Amino acid sequence: MAILYALVARGTVVLSEFTATSTNASTIAKQILEKVPGDNDSNVSYSQDRYVFHVKRTDGLTVLCMAEETAGRRIPFAFLEDIHQRFVRTYGRAVHTALAYAMNEEFSRVLSQQIDYYSNDPNADRINRIKGEMNQVRGVMIENIDKVLDRGERLELLVDKTANMQGNTFRFRKQARRFRSNVWWRNCKLTVLLILLLLVIIYIAVAFLCHGPTLPSCI
Amino acid sequence: MSFQDLESGRGRSTRKFNGGRQDSTQAVASGIFQINTGVSTFQRLVNTLGTPKDTPELREKLHKTRLHIGQLVKDTSAKLKEASETDHQSGVNPSKKIADAKLARDFQAVLKEFQKAQQTAAERETTYTPFVPQSALPSSYTAGEVDKVPEQRAQLQESKRQELVLLDNEIAFNEAVIEEREQGIQEIHQQIGEVNEIFKDLAVLVNDQGVMIDDIGTHIDNSRAATSQGKSQLVQAAKTQKSNSSLTCLLLVIFGIVLLIVIIVLAA
Repeated sequence: MAILYALVARGTVVLSEFTATSTNASTIAKQILEKVPGDNDSNVSYSQDRYVFHVKRTDGLTVLCMAEETAGRRIPFAFLEDIHQRFVRTYGRAVHTALAYAMNEEFSRVLSQQIDYYSNDPNADRINRIKGEMNQVRGVMIENIDKVLDRGERLELLVDKTANMQGNTFRFRKQARRFRSNVWWRNCKLTVLLILLLLVIIYIAVAFLCHGPTLPSCI
Repeated sequence: MSFQDLESGRGRSTRKFNGGRQDSTQAVASGIFQINTGVSTFQRLVNTLGTPKDTPELREKLHKTRLHIGQLVKDTSAKLKEASETDHQSGVNPSKKIADAKLARDFQAVLKEFQKAQQTAAERETTYTPFVPQSALPSSYTAGEVDKVPEQRAQLQESKRQELVLLDNEIAFNEAVIEEREQGIQEIHQQIGEVNEIFKDLAVLVNDQGVMIDDIGTHIDNSRAATSQGKSQLVQAAKTQKSNSSLTCLLLVIFGIVLLIVIIVLAA
């Protein structure tokens, strides 16, 4: 919670206030209202322990808020500007003649809503929203890096496996070639054996017809 | 002014080539373009009527723009008539006729738009009264300054001094806000730099993995080639083995017959 307390006042007359936590902000705020110098428009900040009181005075109307030191100035003063515009838009010229706490019942709810908005909603400040978005982008990119590294590991495994597959297919090709050679040689031997057998049979037949192993009648 | 210069330059160059035929078409096209521009300006002025910017000067400008567009419409209408008369002659290029017809339709469209804008302007001119700035105020200020007294002068100096103090405070405040905003922007800039570094790292990783994928592709291609060759070797081996079976069968048959003959001969 960045903004803890807010009030709207005319001079030192408090018209509306809201406190988000139980602190002594109200007392200190009233002291600050008396201490703010001059009657002209101004923007000032007062430090008190860990909190800072930001005061904005415009056209006789003073808007004050108490914020944590870490909230900086941009968001609290944007809050003050917003509250001032809403207050003037809602009550107009009645601001200059109203009694103390005259608008407190209605406007304290608006103060509460805006305190919550400027304290918690990233959209209240464009720079903070962009910071948040850049953080998201960075997270997504780091996640992407992790995924790509994981993918790299799997690709390495795949490289190893495909290298093994390549080796196996080379071996398969070599063995297939050897097998073909063996089968061819067996075929060759069978052919030669068949030819020899046929020659032997022919010789025996011719020898029988020629009446002798040395073929005397035919030669 | 620059457009008119461009137009005159273009007209001069075109006249050398075409002998003046295309000159009228080009003139009509540029006229329609100028009318379009004028009508846009006129509409923008009409949209300003009824707003705090509505002043007698604006009304005067509106009037001048209306007259200017009227003159442009008159000139372009004459040129369009001249171009259409040229189209009726024999031997005119059909594409020129088509272009002139298109220009005529464009001219009609822009005229309708101008008439609509004129009606809107007339309505708003009667509805609204121009905003006259208060010229009486400066004279009263001037009268006030004439009666300056030393006491008022001293008060004026004191007021100026306070004003300077307030301005200094305002400057300090604005500088603090600007400093804070700059710090936030610096952080955003730093984060963007980090994201840039992450993107570069990612690019390096993706490139390396591209090399790995190329290796995988090479391995798979080699495996496919080797498998194809092995398959062809096996197919040939299968054919040879089939031939072996036939030869073995033939040998057995012949051997059987020989044995049979020998047995018959011995038995006899």
